[in-house]
Amino acid sequence: MTPPPAESVAAMIRPGPTLPDSQVNRDILRVMEGTSAGYWLLVLIAAGFVGLAGGIWIWQVYEGLGIAGYQHPIFWGAYIVTFVFWVGIAHAGTLISAILYLFRAKWRNAINRSAEVMTVIAVLTAAQFLGIHVGRIWKSYFILPYPNQRALWVNFKSPLLWDTFAISTYLTISVLFLFVGLIPDFAVARDRAAGWRKLLYSLLAGGWQGTARQWKAHNRSVLHLSGLATPLVLSVHSVVSWDFAMTIVPGWHATVFGPYFVAGAIFSGFAMVLTVMIPVRRIYGLEEYITDYHLDNMSKFLLLTSTIVSYAYLSEYFIAWYGGVEAEQTSFWMRAFGPYWISTWIMILCNGVFPQLLWISKLRTNVPFLFVLSVLINIGMWFERYVIIITGLSREYNPAVWGVYTPSYPELGIVAGSFGFFALFFLLLLKIVPMVAIAEVKETVIHRRMHDEGAH
Amino acid sequence: MPRLRGSYDRPDRIAEAITQLKGRGYTDLETYAPAPFPEVDNAVIEKPSPVRLFTLVGGLTGVVTGYALTIWMANDWQIMLGGKPFTSIPPYTIIAFELTILFGGVLTVLGLFGVGRLYPRKLDAAYEPRFSAEEFGLVVRCRERDVAEIEALMRGHGAVEVTLVES
Repeated sequence: MTPPPAESVAAMIRPGPTLPDSQVNRDILRVMEGTSAGYWLLVLIAAGFVGLAGGIWIWQVYEGLGIAGYQHPIFWGAYIVTFVFWVGIAHAGTLISAILYLFRAKWRNAINRSAEVMTVIAVLTAAQFLGIHVGRIWKSYFILPYPNQRALWVNFKSPLLWDTFAISTYLTISVLFLFVGLIPDFAVARDRAAGWRKLLYSLLAGGWQGTARQWKAHNRSVLHLSGLATPLVLSVHSVVSWDFAMTIVPGWHATVFGPYFVAGAIFSGFAMVLTVMIPVRRIYGLEEYITDYHLDNMSKFLLLTSTIVSYAYLSEYFIAWYGGVEAEQTSFWMRAFGPYWISTWIMILCNGVFPQLLWISKLRTNVPFLFVLSVLINIGMWFERYVIIITGLSREYNPAVWGVYTPSYPELGIVAGSFGFFALFFLLLLKIVPMVAIAEVKETVIHRRMHDEGAH
Repeated sequence: MPRLRGSYDRPDRIAEAITQLKGRGYTDLETYAPAPFPEVDNAVIEKPSPVRLFTLVGGLTGVVTGYALTIWMANDWQIMLGGKPFTSIPPYTIIAFELTILFGGVLTVLGLFGVGRLYPRKLDAAYEPRFSAEEFGLVVRCRERDVAEIEALMRGHGAVEVTLVES
């Protein structure tokens, strides 16, 4: 393909919306106004799933973890799979907000807010699974280092404790990041709202007027938070992967796990951003803001991370063969051809093969295709964690203790409930939080207007 | 003392006006902007925001806390494992790293609240909702006799409108 002329490349680099400025406020605040019957129906369905999962969970607290189908040798089941899945989803927001901010990739400002919101909800969803998985929820605070009568401290050499610190830091920082970015937009909403919304946004915007002092402090804070969040986002999923890699279980004990998990997390996170934003963009008419250009860029990210993940799959098999450890070789043979072969091939097809279609440039902006692909990737990434965790545990060193696990109905109910929780939270925030970063879009728009007037 | 408010539709024009006003000795300035523009913000305040010191202090406190917490706890209740030392720096580095980020981030945001005076309060009398739409506001506090000069200067640099806020 011949490269496009220089002017059109310049237009692609700065693709800001072509609308007059206050139009930006109207378009984006309109998403928060009014609720249709369809909206409430979705809220009701999502709340129904949350209620179902809540009921099952209460039953599990009463009966014990036995109803989750845990039995020897597999004590890490669907709960941990889903925990890792949601932590993974949480990575796109920080990648888009922090890393692309540091790289000055301006196209991020159409999607960063929604991705940040998803990050916060996904971490909250993931965190619940730790409580669900431990069974005795009333003792879950034991994981925190607090002075107690037994004079015991937690074991700081355990990856599970690193995880506690990593996840709680990640939750805190992503909430702060989201909130700091929202302050100027809350002020926009405050200046245009009435009633209880006026009160809410006045509290949240906290006297924001866009003075030079405030903008300078704001820019500096966003820069520093990005600088802090970048190593954090890389560390969080590395730490999650060490929960597995620090053990001696065949299939888990691999040094590649850190980068492998981080790439997979970004991959699944971008897929989830597409799954959620494609309908939102359509329903609320945000095509002016989330353009084909953004879809194209996100597709390229999917393609890149899919390729990294595929490389990790191949390198795992290569090392298993080349390392010559019999237990490792058996574990990987069983992965592809043992009782879990369906899961393995779903994972390889959805994460490694289908995304390669994105090499075709027309498909990168084909909205229905991207939506279907993003859903397939979400499924594939859930199965990736399932394959890693379950096949590892089911085929350890001694064939006498091999076993097969299938998720029980209560587990599946709670997993479904986690999707309901994610959807419910997102639907509610859709009506409270501006889903496109207004101030950042406006910056682009004003620059563009000046450019049109010949100021630059 | 009276306050004059000029509104602008372009950041480069308001930035020029600020530079001119400052050159003539009017330093009691305030701007309202719908989006961050370095040319405007730097024209009003030259120095970088003090928020950066908060991040530094927070980060350093975090790293010290992380190591101190882990090392002290490991030695307060000693558990012998394979004859290895009680204090094991590599795993503790992970805790220290996470706390560096946590404390640094929290203090950065507290710094933003403090420096930007971001807490529920009454807005300035000169602030208007249009400054969160598309316009830029420039407010100058001056003596009665300077009003005419400032107004002329603001208009000369492309002010769309100049009004007297209070006197």
